[in-house]
Amino acid sequence: MQLTFEINNQSHTVEVPEDMPLLWVIRDVLRLKGTKFGCGQAMCGACTVQVDGDAIRSCSYAAKFAQGKKVTTIEALANEEKLHPVQQAWLDERVPQCGYCQPGFIMATKSLLEKIPNPSEDEINDNITNICRCGTYHRMRKAIHRAVELQQKSKL
Amino acid sequence: MNRRKFIIRATVGVGVTVGLGWLAKAPMRRALAKFADEVQGEYSGSEKAEVWFELTPQGELVLYSPKVEMGQGVLQAIAQLAAEELEIDWQKIIVKHASSAHGPLDSMSTGGSLSVSGLYNPLRTLAATFREMMRENAATLMNVSPDLVTFQNNSFVSGDQTITLAKLATQSKTWKKPKKEPKLKTRAQFKVIGKDLLRFDLLPKIKGEPMFGIDAAFPDMLYGSVVLPPVKDATFKSASAGSAASLPGVVKVVIEKNFAGVVATSRFAAEEAKKQIDVQWQMPEKLIQQTDLEALVKVGNGNPVSIQKEGNASGELKEGEIISAEFFSPFGVHAHIEPNGAVADYRTDGVTIRMSTQVVRITRDEVADALGLDKEKVNIEPMYLGGGFGRRLHTPHAIAAALLSKAVGKPVHMFWNRVEEFQNGFLRPATHNTLKAKLNKEGKIESIEHNTSSGDVAFTSPLFPKALYSLAGADFGAWRGAMVQYNIPNISTVSWRVQLPIETSWWRGLGLLANTFALESFIDDLASRANKDALAFRLQHLDDSERSMRMKNVLQAACTKAGWGKSLPDGHALGLACSVDVNTPVAHVAEVRIIENEIRVVRITCAIDPGLIVNPDGVRAQCEGAIVMSLSATLFEEVTIKDGKVTPNRLGYYAIAQLKDTPEIDVVLLSTGDSPRGVGEPPMGPTAAAIGNAVKKLTGTRLNRLPLKVLGQ
Amino acid sequence: MKTSYFVMLLFLSVAVVSLTAWDKPEKDDLPTTGDPTKSRAALGAMLKVLKHQRCMNCHPTDDRPRQGDDAHAHLFNVQRGTDNKGLAAMRCVACHQTENNKQSNVPGAPHWQLAPKSMGWMGLSDEQIAANLIDKSKNGNRSLDQLMEHMTRDPLVQWAWQPGEGRTVPPVSQKDFHEAVRTWIENGAVIK
Repeated sequence: MQLTFEINNQSHTVEVPEDMPLLWVIRDVLRLKGTKFGCGQAMCGACTVQVDGDAIRSCSYAAKFAQGKKVTTIEALANEEKLHPVQQAWLDERVPQCGYCQPGFIMATKSLLEKIPNPSEDEINDNITNICRCGTYHRMRKAIHRAVELQQKSKL
Repeated sequence: MNRRKFIIRATVGVGVTVGLGWLAKAPMRRALAKFADEVQGEYSGSEKAEVWFELTPQGELVLYSPKVEMGQGVLQAIAQLAAEELEIDWQKIIVKHASSAHGPLDSMSTGGSLSVSGLYNPLRTLAATFREMMRENAATLMNVSPDLVTFQNNSFVSGDQTITLAKLATQSKTWKKPKKEPKLKTRAQFKVIGKDLLRFDLLPKIKGEPMFGIDAAFPDMLYGSVVLPPVKDATFKSASAGSAASLPGVVKVVIEKNFAGVVATSRFAAEEAKKQIDVQWQMPEKLIQQTDLEALVKVGNGNPVSIQKEGNASGELKEGEIISAEFFSPFGVHAHIEPNGAVADYRTDGVTIRMSTQVVRITRDEVADALGLDKEKVNIEPMYLGGGFGRRLHTPHAIAAALLSKAVGKPVHMFWNRVEEFQNGFLRPATHNTLKAKLNKEGKIESIEHNTSSGDVAFTSPLFPKALYSLAGADFGAWRGAMVQYNIPNISTVSWRVQLPIETSWWRGLGLLANTFALESFIDDLASRANKDALAFRLQHLDDSERSMRMKNVLQAACTKAGWGKSLPDGHALGLACSVDVNTPVAHVAEVRIIENEIRVVRITCAIDPGLIVNPDGVRAQCEGAIVMSLSATLFEEVTIKDGKVTPNRLGYYAIAQLKDTPEIDVVLLSTGDSPRGVGEPPMGPTAAAIGNAVKKLTGTRLNRLPLKVLGQ
Repeated sequence: MKTSYFVMLLFLSVAVVSLTAWDKPEKDDLPTTGDPTKSRAALGAMLKVLKHQRCMNCHPTDDRPRQGDDAHAHLFNVQRGTDNKGLAAMRCVACHQTENNKQSNVPGAPHWQLAPKSMGWMGLSDEQIAANLIDKSKNGNRSLDQLMEHMTRDPLVQWAWQPGEGRTVPPVSQKDFHEAVRTWIENGAVIK
């Protein structure tokens, strides 16, 4: 099929099988490698991107559903001058170890904070359910709180 | 210095390279000991010249690492070690993974918590040597004595003359071993080692830059996929392409003598086509079942090897009031999030493979062997690993990638899917431990006997030639953490080796978690039997030797920080446990509560003494990660084998600790001695026992099976 | 974990049993002709579907969907949210699209969501389920015609018979279920 959609604020038209997971369109066709493959079963969250603002597990999202939609990947978060507040918080708290799952977590957190700018511990626990095998959760929790602070500051 | 030979050579156009060849290979016995307990800084590399440093005409100083980055922060630690002696701003040093063709090539693996301890002396020596070589060349260029040359702002300076690194690289005519043997700095002189510097690999990881094995690419690359056995012990007989060859995007169905696969223009097309390949499998006579394996992993089965003997424990434990217990742990998987795979570019002059591997040399040798190539024709370019945990010590997928590339004459990118990862991984072996002990009149342990049974851990590894099994005696991976660290008159520790019909192997910490779970749960039970506080009881069994003092210190540090003995909220309890691994003692205090029959860990306080610390935050991060991974194994993880299939075979159903399960974690760093010891695995040790000991305080019941489940769950 | 849910279900069912009154449908809404025996038999067939575990999984009386024939709590702590479509960053749509995904085997259907809480059936008696079906305050303000439409046409309800590989289907065929719904309503939509 001819898939036309917006990714990271740029419109793209690509010729892909309609059932190809959006993840492979992003990684292999558009060569944006920040979105990761972990399980292919929507379990681990390494492939999390935003589609029209919602956190979506792109390994389980057929390309055809992205038609006309607005997709955001980790590559769009930072600009030349600065990191996205969630990324900055992740750096400040020195979250990553192997780093493989981190873009997925960052995208999920971005989506959470856009909907709930100051989440409670329960809201964090219930919404951030990706898997990190290095076990960086302890710092992630701190980073999520720090991202809240950074976003509040940037709005002042 | 007399044991080492420096080989220096200039390479055209890229400045200079410095290599180091080791004259004497460490005797095999010492290599074994490295994996056991007595690891000290000794790095055994290749005997031929290998490139460690490269000074480019642009004035960049590249350091090639024989160790791979899998999250443990080793490249940052290496940068700090080198920068200390080079006296160059550490951020000017570019640390890259060494490829197998370029070197240096690690003789063993990245693993076993040995990277920093093993490189500590050799790398500083190399760096100091290279610094002096640069200083002497700068002196020559400035026509002054080397004594008058200092290094300032990343340039060599003498009087009003300045030589930048770029100038040094391009204008140096020859490079020679320095006239003066450099003297290494002492701990008190360190400026970079011991600093909490921000790891240089964090920013690119946070930005999602392509750096992992799965991100590697070659121009004009195709995508492959390989059919893997449906059950354990099934072997490939034959295959036919079926309808796969005519599916859209398929370039070629590849049928080799021991596997079938497909290459296509997209991964999607390859995966879809793979389902249509018709493979005939030689099925095992009987499908493997969990009950068969459980019957095998039993103390008393297989081959016993005594690994610790003091006094006469077996004699002493024949009569009197004997206290006994047994413990079990299940099979587990690594569940690294980046699946295994490789990107291979096969050409007539050799093959280049980019991938995540913990064993660059072995991967190279295996590919060379399978393809009938000289080793020099195989270049393994290690990428950043999306998790290692021991799983990437086995890399047969590199061979498949190379063969697929050879079959189509183009680079091929192939990765396993998650179900294949579960089914074809090397499992953490199930274990069975039995313990017996006797207390004396004063309530001290008079005699203790510890028997461990486990499937193979180290013995299955390509790192470890089969010929050495008898020399090593017991599988040192399986018995890691099994030795009794307390001062007790009569001790016997025996490791029972069983060979299982399924592949088991290294899993972060090897036997450390399971053996410490058994031993330290039992010690707590003995303390209650003796009516003693768990901390006091442990301290009472540690003498004043350096080793015991370090253990006492971590026990006391963890307990002080955790508030041992202070009052807690209702329904909370503290559990204590300790272990020593690669000569690093660790103690954990776990604060636990039970909500609706679910064990919730509120906080884990960890104290660790890894000797000299290169990057404190790196050590803290490793402790936090190891605590979460071992907590996950303690509370959730388990696979069983049903009809030859690993069950469950999906994440989620194979439960792993999530953010919601993660406790508060406090890490107390102690640092005694002048050399670094291991960090990556030691904090795995005490977690299960510490949690179990707290649960026993809450429920009165000793849980002796991982994952821990309280009654009613 | 299972026990805790079991305990919770017991508690909920006790709470529900104590409610005896419900909003009956408007009188002229119910057919006056028809055979209550036929209606009762049809209800029996319908209940085999409604009470099938896979259907029950998305009709909880609490805020957590269940999964599988063993009704385990939906993995990863998935919850109802304010619109029955999940939490802020854990929307149903994060994983479930409008059709089953052939690659990941994640199920999907149009408007994938939990049944509203008022349509929760877990722990309810047959009579209570039937009563709730025709209770406009609980059935989404549906007339009997609209209820029939919902049960025989709604794509998410119909997904029960096309659940994707490895998932069981209700013990009554789709066609027989439709027939049962029609017979039940045409004969007076009895509740016991």
